[in-house]
Amino acid sequence: MKRLFTVVAALLLAVLASAQAFTGGIKGSVVSRAGRVPVPGAEMTLSQDGKVLAEISSGAEGEFLIEGLANGVYQLDVKADEFSDLTVFVTVDKGFIKDLIFVSLTPAAAIQEADESNFAEFDMDDSGYSDAPTLLLGSNDVYTNVAGYGFSSVRFKNRGYNSETQDVYLAGVKMNDAITGYSPFSLWSGLNEAMRSKDTTIGLETADEGFGGFNGVTNLHAIPTSVRTGWRFSALSNSALYRLRLMASYASGENNGWSYAFNASVRMGGNDWIEGVYYRSFAYYLGVGKRLGDGRLSLVTFATPGERGAQNASTQEVYDLMGDNMYNSNWGYQNGKVRNSRVRKTFEPVTILKYEYTPEDIPLTANATLLWRTGSNGYTALDWYDAMDPRPDYYRNLPSYYYMEDEDYNRVNQDKYEWTTYAWTQRGGEYDNYQHLNWDRLYNVNYHNAEGRSKYALEERHVDQNDLQFAANAKYKVSDDLMVRGGLNLRANRTENYKKMNDLLGGRYFLNIDSFAERDFAANEALLQNDLDYYMAHGSAEKITRGGKYGYDYLAQIRVADIWANGSYKFGQLTAEAGLKAGMTTFWREGLVRKGLFAGRKVDGTHIFATDINGNMIDLTNLSNGQTSYGASEAAKFFTYAAKASVAYDLFGNSRVSANLGYFNDAPTFNNSFISPRTRNTIVDNLTTQKTFSADLNYQIASEFISARVTAFYTKIMDQTDVMSFYDDSQQSFTNFAMTGIDQRHMGIELGVKVPTPVKGLSVSGVLSLGEYIYTSTPHMVQTVDNSAEVVRDAEVTYWQQHPVYVPVDYTAAGVPVYDENLDGTFKVDHYQKHYVPSTPQFATELALNYRTNSYWFFELNGQYFDRAYLDMNPLYRTDTAARGSESNPAIISDMAYQEKFDPAFLLNASAGKSWSIQRKYYLGFSLNVSNILNNRGVKTGGYEQTRLISSVGKDRYYRFDAKYFYMQGANYMLNIYFRF
Amino acid sequence: MKKSIIALFALAALVSCQSLKEEFQPVFTSFYKYPARYQADTLKTTHTIAQLVSLYTPETPLTIKDDIVISGVVSTTDQPGNFYKSFFIQDETGGIEIKVGKNSLYNDYLPGQRIYVYCKDLTLGMYGYKTGNYGGMGMAQIGFSDPSGTYETSYIESQMIINEHIFRGPQEFPVVPVVVDSPSRLPDPKTATQSTNNLVGKLVTFKGLKYANENFVLLYLDSTKDKKAYSNRVFLSDSNGLEKDGARHSITTWAMSESKMKEHLLAGDWDDAKVGSGNTMLMDDAGHEVTLGALKGDGTYPTVEKAAYSVSQYFTLGGTEIQVRTSGFCKFCDVEIDPDILSGKKTITVTGILSLYQGSIQVTVNSLDDFVVDE
Repeated sequence: MKRLFTVVAALLLAVLASAQAFTGGIKGSVVSRAGRVPVPGAEMTLSQDGKVLAEISSGAEGEFLIEGLANGVYQLDVKADEFSDLTVFVTVDKGFIKDLIFVSLTPAAAIQEADESNFAEFDMDDSGYSDAPTLLLGSNDVYTNVAGYGFSSVRFKNRGYNSETQDVYLAGVKMNDAITGYSPFSLWSGLNEAMRSKDTTIGLETADEGFGGFNGVTNLHAIPTSVRTGWRFSALSNSALYRLRLMASYASGENNGWSYAFNASVRMGGNDWIEGVYYRSFAYYLGVGKRLGDGRLSLVTFATPGERGAQNASTQEVYDLMGDNMYNSNWGYQNGKVRNSRVRKTFEPVTILKYEYTPEDIPLTANATLLWRTGSNGYTALDWYDAMDPRPDYYRNLPSYYYMEDEDYNRVNQDKYEWTTYAWTQRGGEYDNYQHLNWDRLYNVNYHNAEGRSKYALEERHVDQNDLQFAANAKYKVSDDLMVRGGLNLRANRTENYKKMNDLLGGRYFLNIDSFAERDFAANEALLQNDLDYYMAHGSAEKITRGGKYGYDYLAQIRVADIWANGSYKFGQLTAEAGLKAGMTTFWREGLVRKGLFAGRKVDGTHIFATDINGNMIDLTNLSNGQTSYGASEAAKFFTYAAKASVAYDLFGNSRVSANLGYFNDAPTFNNSFISPRTRNTIVDNLTTQKTFSADLNYQIASEFISARVTAFYTKIMDQTDVMSFYDDSQQSFTNFAMTGIDQRHMGIELGVKVPTPVKGLSVSGVLSLGEYIYTSTPHMVQTVDNSAEVVRDAEVTYWQQHPVYVPVDYTAAGVPVYDENLDGTFKVDHYQKHYVPSTPQFATELALNYRTNSYWFFELNGQYFDRAYLDMNPLYRTDTAARGSESNPAIISDMAYQEKFDPAFLLNASAGKSWSIQRKYYLGFSLNVSNILNNRGVKTGGYEQTRLISSVGKDRYYRFDAKYFYMQGANYMLNIYFRF
Repeated sequence: MKKSIIALFALAALVSCQSLKEEFQPVFTSFYKYPARYQADTLKTTHTIAQLVSLYTPETPLTIKDDIVISGVVSTTDQPGNFYKSFFIQDETGGIEIKVGKNSLYNDYLPGQRIYVYCKDLTLGMYGYKTGNYGGMGMAQIGFSDPSGTYETSYIESQMIINEHIFRGPQEFPVVPVVVDSPSRLPDPKTATQSTNNLVGKLVTFKGLKYANENFVLLYLDSTKDKKAYSNRVFLSDSNGLEKDGARHSITTWAMSESKMKEHLLAGDWDDAKVGSGNTMLMDDAGHEVTLGALKGDGTYPTVEKAAYSVSQYFTLGGTEIQVRTSGFCKFCDVEIDPDILSGKKTITVTGILSLYQGSIQVTVNSLDDFVVDE
């Protein structure tokens, strides 16, 4: 490679030939923003009014020169591997060569391959473990780059916030799930090239596309003109998720007003750590754009059809027996082949029509987008009727069920303990059937059924969305000092939730009745019906065959409308900004089948009757306890609003201080608003909006010597609701648990610093997130029996926020602790132990070394340390019921209510990469990443407490079941090789 | 520089070395072939059921140390829910309960299937034995040792112990019940076991049973508390002075589901039943015996747990008492007994397992079809 810059295109020669009279030009050097390291071989395209004038590459020192330009404004697009694309506008006047000095590019290497698929899909349906992975997308901010991707291995949540607080937009439309609020990265995972171009704000900042909340806005551009032009092919292999990803993309750029882009990929295979977890996923993206008048119309459609095997959490006892914290109980051998019972199968195409209006004569940009998401999303699971629980790690299959050292647990059979331990610790052959799903047995049970009725089957739980959205936004520069932005969002979501028969496992049909109801209401067949109308019409329950809908079937109907406006005013070095948002959210449930237990009334308002086992007429409407499963529920309506204000002051030396404030009144999500949406229309009592107050204070600097941001934040979230269903041993029945009035407070500091070193190309960066995220209220709970809607508890979750700790002052001769008492006879509390917002480290830090050479090599080495992560709490253990016996033994409160804190973790990661150019036309490169080099396999990343209770021998107190955990994988590699032209 | 690159690659290779072979092997996700059907096991039988039970002495559970194998055909099903976590097998000498300890056993151990039990390490014990004049024999069963001392045997329960001891043979024919129509054929419940009488534990059809206008239920005020505490127990029996419907306590079903029990309780059917056990009755502060009626509260009996209950309905066969014992968790528990039976106008034919409990004869049916009204 010569030290001279190169003029490549014949086009340029032509331009030069026809423009010899012009003496103007542009020159400068392309450098990396951090450390000013030259970037050789950057591709640069010069254009004017959409017409390409020149295509060149930067020289070995990053330098470039374009001569022979007429006076005027030019657009210079700069692209380089491992850097984010950059566009600058340059004015050439008076015939001079304009010296840009430095054209700074932002490294993109660290964020390049971040996508949702960096996370194994956790099995959350049965666990109450309800957080989707959080992922901030890349930006130029040092902190955000690391927190968003580098910390993802421990499931770090920025500032402790849940995933749904992060607004994710696609082409200007807010994509957060209408039902859960989660950011739906899986909709476009595998389309890294098409979705690479994006804008990101952090914290309380407002974006052009939307008002945003308190945890940033990310907008993926997603239109064809935002896809990198040219062809690109890549092959990626990694040991963490799938073996192989092959991807191709092409974008035309804009020619004669038309633009085209496509991106397709396939992800296949298993991984080194978790058996049963695999990908067989495809992805496609097709887009076309056309200039129309003063704007551009784009039409895009994409989807990621495919399937993925899921992982499940187990108790530490199981992991220890298996000698593996990566044990996955979801799979077993069928005819010698690994088969996973939990497979997510999705095909959810998204179609976007977007118009961007950019008139030349007024300082206005306006966009309008229509977006439609449809398709199907299924998740398989074993279903069984009147048969043994088939899960290998079911608690009755574990040694601890038979023997525990503490006799008070009443588990005293050592022989059974030893037999069971033996079954779990031998390997291979018949022992696989104790340690993994025993598919052979499930089939044989079905074979043996004389009528061909399947007792075990594989169900597919569907959440099929139809989401239609319209969003418009505009940005108008009133004067040099004043800018106004505003927008409108409309959403109509209709989501069908149902079960479908996926596999009858050797049987011929599965009967559509409710086995939980049968236990309690065997005398009245009508009450067992999942589809009462079918039963009434046919005299028996439906025999479900493959592909048939059964179990439950209801629509979630959601309507959202909101408008927002924001203005910012610049007054010298001071910028002030304020904004308001207001809207309405309405949602209701619409039952498509009538369940026997909650028959309600007929359409004409009359009662429904059925005969019971003794031939008596039973009024099912009266038995419904005022509930109904069929038809539309009452609509929950919420007026929502939000307000934001911020000031920023520019200081000397490229630094700035800023402060943001925000208050939000948001609607609860659908999934936390219905007590038991699978069976009935009942809305949680006292359902109200969630209120959030948030404030932050920032200092930023971006100079030659340092690039840094430090932020202090304070957020209070109030009136959250949580709904769960579980078997309650103290009630001996399956119950629904609705908790309202949950408040939390998040405060802390975050810091990101990057400094160049005296060694050319070497820079050091450090990131710190230190916070305290705690619960600050005593929520209220209403517990109902799932089968009857009978309220069994209506009380406070006494020990949710904190629990008292009692310290013994003495011990009796028998070793019984003695506690100090108050005058009124109650025990003296030593102190109160706070409870923390779980599943994220509240202390996270990273120190990284970055090295970039002139010959296109890059290296990074980083060390990370995480601490103060806590286990998700189940509310049952924090109730007075669970604390039974604490009047005489106060230690029981701590035993039941304490919250587990995870051990701290240290991780070491490294990456390297290089790119080559072939004839300056073709580019070949690779990047290699090795994470968790120390192969640390003891890092808990999350989990949940089981909602089960163990009664003591004397039945005078309860003990907990063991918690279930997810662990981080050990050392992993990811190798990506790409080729583009 | 070169060295560090090589080191990095070496590290990457090392990391993936463990699985390098299968590294790029595709994951199987296409159609899974049906697994093979189970092959029938055969074991050499060493003892009859009678011979096995003859090894047992009352109140001395016996953990078997020898290579004893018994075999028999499954005579019960837990499908309708009247048998729970166990099944009976029988040979020509008698029948015996295998306390497997899993739900829905009929899926794996089908009625009419031959079963071999390798008894070594299992425990032979008795349920329902009571000494004294009012006592008698219970039923010898096969289970596992019970160090808690609650019962003579515990459920086998651990899947590996089950798989190593209970073997499934071929499907044979459903068991044909032995017909008993006179008391002379009945075993002596004071002394009989499977080793001395070949009807014990077997599927039997009793003909001409007449209702004795009596039944028995033991209620617990709170089942999550100590079930043996007298203050937690209420006996609905002839000795507990219930006046409504004589000794029948208005229970006209084979057993009671939770909703049926609640119906009786709230209707005040058992208000005069006393809380207590045997000779120890719960007293209130004023020294009066506490009755269920006293716990009525606001009419919902807040301190009385609503739950499903087993019921023994008493019949006679030519003067000998036979209890029909039915579980409150079975699917037909709330079926009303024909009023003509309860009034003594009609007799019934009942098919079920003949068992002994504290010196009385009980019969446990498999399903509702096992009750046939004699016309």
